Amino acid sequence: MESLVFALFNGVLYGMLLFLLASGLTLIFSMMGVLNFAHASFFMLGAYFAYEVSSYVGFWPALIFAPVIVGVIGAGVERWGLRPVHRFGHVAELLFTFGIAYVIEEAVQMIWGRVPVPYEIPASMTFTLFSWAGLDYSAYRVFMLVISVGIFVALFALLTYTRIGLIIRAAVSDPTHVATLGHDVPTIFMWTFGFGCALAAVAGVVGGNVLGTEPAMALMLGPIVFVVIVVGGLGSLGGALIAALLIGILDRLALFYDVGLAGIFSVFGIELDPEGTFRDFARMTSAQVAPVLPYLLLVLMLIFKPRGLFGTRDV
Amino acid sequence: MSFMRFRRGLAVAVAVVLASTVASADEPVRIGLIEPFSGPIAAVGRDTLEGYEFFANEINTRGGVLGGRHIEIVPLDNAMNAEKTTQMLRKAVDDGLRFISQGVGSNHALNIIKFLGKHNRRNPDQAILYLNYAAVTTSFTNELCSFWHFRFDANVDMKVAALVTQLGRSKRVSKVYMLNQNYAYGQAFQAAAQRMFAERAPHIEIVGDELIVPFGKVLDFTAYIAKIQASGADTVLTGNWGPDLIRFVKAAAEAHLPTPFYTIYGGIPSSIAGIGANDGVAVSMRQLTEMHENDPLFDQQDPAVIDALTRYTKQTGKSTYSDRVRWTVEMFAAALDAAGTDDPAAVGRALEGMVFDGPAGPVVMRGEDHQILMPMVISTMSNEVARPFLYEGRNFGVGWQTDDWVSANASALPTTCEMKRP
Repeated sequence: MESLVFALFNGVLYGMLLFLLASGLTLIFSMMGVLNFAHASFFMLGAYFAYEVSSYVGFWPALIFAPVIVGVIGAGVERWGLRPVHRFGHVAELLFTFGIAYVIEEAVQMIWGRVPVPYEIPASMTFTLFSWAGLDYSAYRVFMLVISVGIFVALFALLTYTRIGLIIRAAVSDPTHVATLGHDVPTIFMWTFGFGCALAAVAGVVGGNVLGTEPAMALMLGPIVFVVIVVGGLGSLGGALIAALLIGILDRLALFYDVGLAGIFSVFGIELDPEGTFRDFARMTSAQVAPVLPYLLLVLMLIFKPRGLFGTRDV
Repeated sequence: MSFMRFRRGLAVAVAVVLASTVASADEPVRIGLIEPFSGPIAAVGRDTLEGYEFFANEINTRGGVLGGRHIEIVPLDNAMNAEKTTQMLRKAVDDGLRFISQGVGSNHALNIIKFLGKHNRRNPDQAILYLNYAAVTTSFTNELCSFWHFRFDANVDMKVAALVTQLGRSKRVSKVYMLNQNYAYGQAFQAAAQRMFAERAPHIEIVGDELIVPFGKVLDFTAYIAKIQASGADTVLTGNWGPDLIRFVKAAAEAHLPTPFYTIYGGIPSSIAGIGANDGVAVSMRQLTEMHENDPLFDQQDPAVIDALTRYTKQTGKSTYSDRVRWTVEMFAAALDAAGTDDPAAVGRALEGMVFDGPAGPVVMRGEDHQILMPMVISTMSNEVARPFLYEGRNFGVGWQTDDWVSANASALPTTCEMKRP
């Protein structure tokens, strides 16, 4: 029982990290309908700016400055890049963000070089907050959890209860009407995009020192954040949270309860021959397939419920 | 009159022959270096190129090879794409290159071995010799062995043999947890370790043996750290590199896992840069190389070698991670002089069985399978070292301290190679 609680707890920690990475993406998608392929690149920029800023003034100012810088860059990208492309439809937007991802990757390599930069967890937060099952959990890990929860609550409140949230949501469903009422819809979109990018940067500041800050990090991270928002339902903030937690917990359970796939199949009455055609498959364990589970979930979700868990529109 | 014309023709012919021999005596011996010089892993390719150019230049300033000819390195960018490696080989053939070097990525190395197998059989007069300084798949010197391939690095099995031999000697070690990347190299590491523990250290228990989806797919290693903790392991053995090593070590350091990490690639610049000094020391990370700057033997080398290595660090702002780029160039130059020609087949025959005076004793290119045999050193990351690790002018404040040497004999393994010689 305790091990189950331990696995669930670790699953929640991991899931909230995934949510943190995906929160900005789901905001941009739900508010603007733009599937931002460069999201992970803005995340990377956040990590690099945090490394640079924190080397002069420390971690805490970096937590403010890096997202602001990235947010302004994001707004600039929307204003002079995405907006002209917008009238050619979603495919053009998608391709544009795809291109931006490569531009950012090359720019990062030109500025910071091609090897990882030593962006480390602030020394003030490496102390052990509590221990469980012989493992020390640092204050930083709990800080990440707090930041993720904070972002979810703040975003949810912003979109649901404030006037800005109301206008943004209205601008998505009926931009012409909102414009007629005197609101500057393109500017709203510009800042929404910038804000989404800033959220990605927050994830970069907080996650970059745990995941390693290097030019390939965006490329490696890209797929998993898309899984989170597609499974959660495109455009649903709560869905993204639940999907992230689901993926996190599923992953940890598969790792901790290391059962053979042959055993899982025999539960369903399918006996895999350990020497037959599927012998490699039969010998695999759930821990080995754990990192693939989110993608399996993605495929199953697209087949059986293409809108995702709480989606309001089709993929 | 006709005699005069004949004489004039003869003079022209003699002049042409003379001119061509003069030209070839001035012409450099070129090595095509096929590596990623663009894309995310370009740093590795550029570091290697820098090393090759530096040590080739050392030989050139010493008077060159074959009575005054220079060695020139020709970079050929494969952008870490195995198909492009083959394209670069075709380019090398068109450009008349007769020597190729490559090391990053065994799939690229495999393409080269296969390509040269065909090319050299069909065009024996344009044969190309392949100097492999880092592609470690064992089969290249076993069932896939070729006369045209020479490996100047220990293969995976030898590296694992060296690590396991040292673990077997260490009284502290009784339970080992293994974690590797689930692709050709990681699987080879795992299989070799299972075999070596049974043969060389049967008293050590393998309490965990996992494969992970490679190349940065695992974001958070905390779950594995918990499993290591639960398994009661006193040592972690991993072949991981890149983000799969960086995140693994960072997660262990954060959880204060008291288990030392034995790695192969913990010392490559990108690992040290990514892991950072604090976390690397926290897990007392070990690495396996053929030399490092803080070993007592380093200062006992030929002063000229120490001088060259010091100048290299000064000029590039980088510590030498491994010594084998220097050996590769030096042994190649010695083979050219021994053969007295730049004919690849003759140079290959001169390399077979060649003995090179390494920093920790003789280094031998085994003739049977073209696999280098060398002493290897296991060292621990430490922040109390005389020469801290530098990369691009940045001082990481850590370096390596020797734990133990493993002799060339202890890591040499029998080969199944049945080589066809031209």
